Amino acid sequence: MNIHINGKAYPLNHEAQITVTAALALHFIEPQQSTFAVALNGDFVAKGDYDTTRLKNGDSLDVLLPIQGG
Amino acid sequence: MVMSLNIYGQNLDSRLLIGSALYPSPQIMKQAILASGSQVVTLSLKRQNPAEQAGQQIWQYLQEIVAQTKGHLLPNTAGCKTAKEAVTLAKMSREIFNTNWVKLEVIGDDYNLQPDPIELLSATETLIKDGFKVLPYCTDDLVLCQRLYDLGCQVIMPWASPIGTGKGLMNPYNLETIRMRLPEATLILDAGIGKPSDACLAMEMGYDGVLLNSAVALADNPVMMAKAFALALQAGEQGYVGGVMEQRQTAHPSTPTLDTPFWHQQ
Repeated sequence: MNIHINGKAYPLNHEAQITVTAALALHFIEPQQSTFAVALNGDFVAKGDYDTTRLKNGDSLDVLLPIQGG
Repeated sequence: MVMSLNIYGQNLDSRLLIGSALYPSPQIMKQAILASGSQVVTLSLKRQNPAEQAGQQIWQYLQEIVAQTKGHLLPNTAGCKTAKEAVTLAKMSREIFNTNWVKLEVIGDDYNLQPDPIELLSATETLIKDGFKVLPYCTDDLVLCQRLYDLGCQVIMPWASPIGTGKGLMNPYNLETIRMRLPEATLILDAGIGKPSDACLAMEMGYDGVLLNSAVALADNPVMMAKAFALALQAGEQGYVGGVMEQRQTAHPSTPTLDTPFWHQQ
């Protein structure tokens, strides 16, 4: 299956769905070291739900970090 | 006596809210924000490569600033064009920054970055029901401001002019009317401020505060300009509290004319 994280495609060999926690491990070197928040297909996913929320083929994950703003 | 600014129950010493973007360097950003005396700093969220260090450095600086000023972070929803996008981003910000304050931006037009009033009202209603303290960025439309206030926004932030233009107060009449018609609302003039005198004028109108970014960040000397804005807000506020004289149609001599050397009785 294919998932997208911040617009980048990640082809996965296995068919099973993966958790947000597992998807973040693809994206981050050290997820626990970063300040970030996550949305799945445009909907917010709370940190407490990372282990129980699963991505399926075609899903898109947004991982956002703090940045300057006006 | 000059009162402090109250944002959803939080009393702040400064009436200036300041952005963290566009500065020449993170060091100058920090110096300028500290020089401004502001206790509310806006910031945002975006996609970043986790390997990039720049974002983490900015985040470190902003945390230091907030600790030093005993201030507050005000996350925005910049870049959102629908209520759904804004609501999602607000929830992500609440989790990261541990605040239920949100500067709600829902843009309706790419040319002048004008807020979309329909989506803004929709997002405001959803977020307030979810416990957010919404600071909506809106146009200087009186009825829109009334609707936002009716939904529960204690703070309303009409624009002076489009974001980043520095054109100042495009429509003083509209802004004065909003002040007059919503006397209980906390009104923050947001966006389009160019000069310290623009901020002073807003305060003389009775606005409760000013939110700006580009005017300081893009100045030749951001630190000096931050100080200038701090002084301008104080001058405008004290001018408002002091009570501006009424304009008169005819000239009146300031110096008594009676018994001056060359006085001529008519």
